[in-house]
Amino acid sequence: MSYDLDTMNALVLDGFRGVEGQSILAVLTNALAQSGYGTEVVALRDKTIAPCLGCFGCWIKTPGECVIDDEGRSVARAAARCDLLVYFTPVTFGGVSSELKKAVDRLIPNISPFFARVQGETHHQKRYPHCPSLIGLGILPQPNREAEAIFKTLVEHNALNFRSARTAAAVVALDGTSDVAAIARGLIEAVAR
Amino acid sequence: MTERKALLLVGSPRGIDRSSSGRLGGRLLDALKERGFETDKLHVHAVVRSPTETERALIAIESAGVVILSLPLYVDSFPAPVIALLERIAERRTGAGRVRFLLLIQCGFPEREQNATALAIAERFAAEVGWEWLGGLAFGAMENHGGSATEVLPRIAAAIADGKPIPEVALKRVMPAWFYRLGGNIMWRRQAKKNGVTRRLRAKPYAD
Repeated sequence: MSYDLDTMNALVLDGFRGVEGQSILAVLTNALAQSGYGTEVVALRDKTIAPCLGCFGCWIKTPGECVIDDEGRSVARAAARCDLLVYFTPVTFGGVSSELKKAVDRLIPNISPFFARVQGETHHQKRYPHCPSLIGLGILPQPNREAEAIFKTLVEHNALNFRSARTAAAVVALDGTSDVAAIARGLIEAVAR
Repeated sequence: MTERKALLLVGSPRGIDRSSSGRLGGRLLDALKERGFETDKLHVHAVVRSPTETERALIAIESAGVVILSLPLYVDSFPAPVIALLERIAERRTGAGRVRFLLLIQCGFPEREQNATALAIAERFAAEVGWEWLGGLAFGAMENHGGSATEVLPRIAAAIADGKPIPEVALKRVMPAWFYRLGGNIMWRRQAKKNGVTRRLRAKPYAD
């Protein structure tokens, strides 16, 4: 995974188990391209990413890198270098899918173990001076206000934990009631520099 | 008689015996056992590694009256293998209309309020799968040791056994957040020193 340093780079983590979200993903990547982003999509279903061991080795044994040598490392590397990280996921009980979460759990090497007070709460200090903005685009079969609210709060809080520069989240319903292109544009505009 | 069967799902990668989640959930399970419950424990990470073990777990869940999920907070939610198991349960609506569900969750930060999103996800899961949501007990860093938990868990077990609502519990703050941050930062340096990586603690291996 290499990025063009002259353009803004987006990394889309596709957390679908199958290809059912692909038409919406195409709208999203098109909106990113129109906004000047070079975009890489990682279909996590095709990646071998072991669960986080909870060992803190990425902080105190091999600082900045997970002790597990698998594709979780390359996703973390790409996430550290991009300008915009995008969660693309079926909304799962208001949260993200297990496919997406297996990668998100392995992103913690990208933050420092040291604690800091951020917006009145304890979080971690940054490891890198530049932290990508975070967008969450969740997909639901039909609108569900409760699930949508949980998802937005989750993405917002993840952004605090990853010290994201900016953040925005939205949920698209597959029942045809959502204007996907407008939602995608709105998310990108919300995190624009 | 399924209502007198309690199943503990431990969602820590460290396993049942070597994790705070396992020990905390185990104490609640012991309290339920004293009240006549048949009990069992499963390690979620082991369960989802094998389709056969997943099937066995689903059967165990199907026959349980009470499911207790005990886990650490991972990036505002559950560790990925736990979500994978919940997805399998939801696909089949295993235990729908019968299982009563309780969450024990521990945050690595001193503010237990940071568990709120995970609690909401657990409640949403229960609603979608058709389980009765008993509620959640959320701990901040180090709050699961001794005092508060010892006092609270038997009360929760009693409420579950008697079919009563889970009581509101007021956990005691172990220490001020600023003190936890200070002590934690000293601890990271000590552990790094032990591993000979003190100078690399702020390494940036993925910098351009």
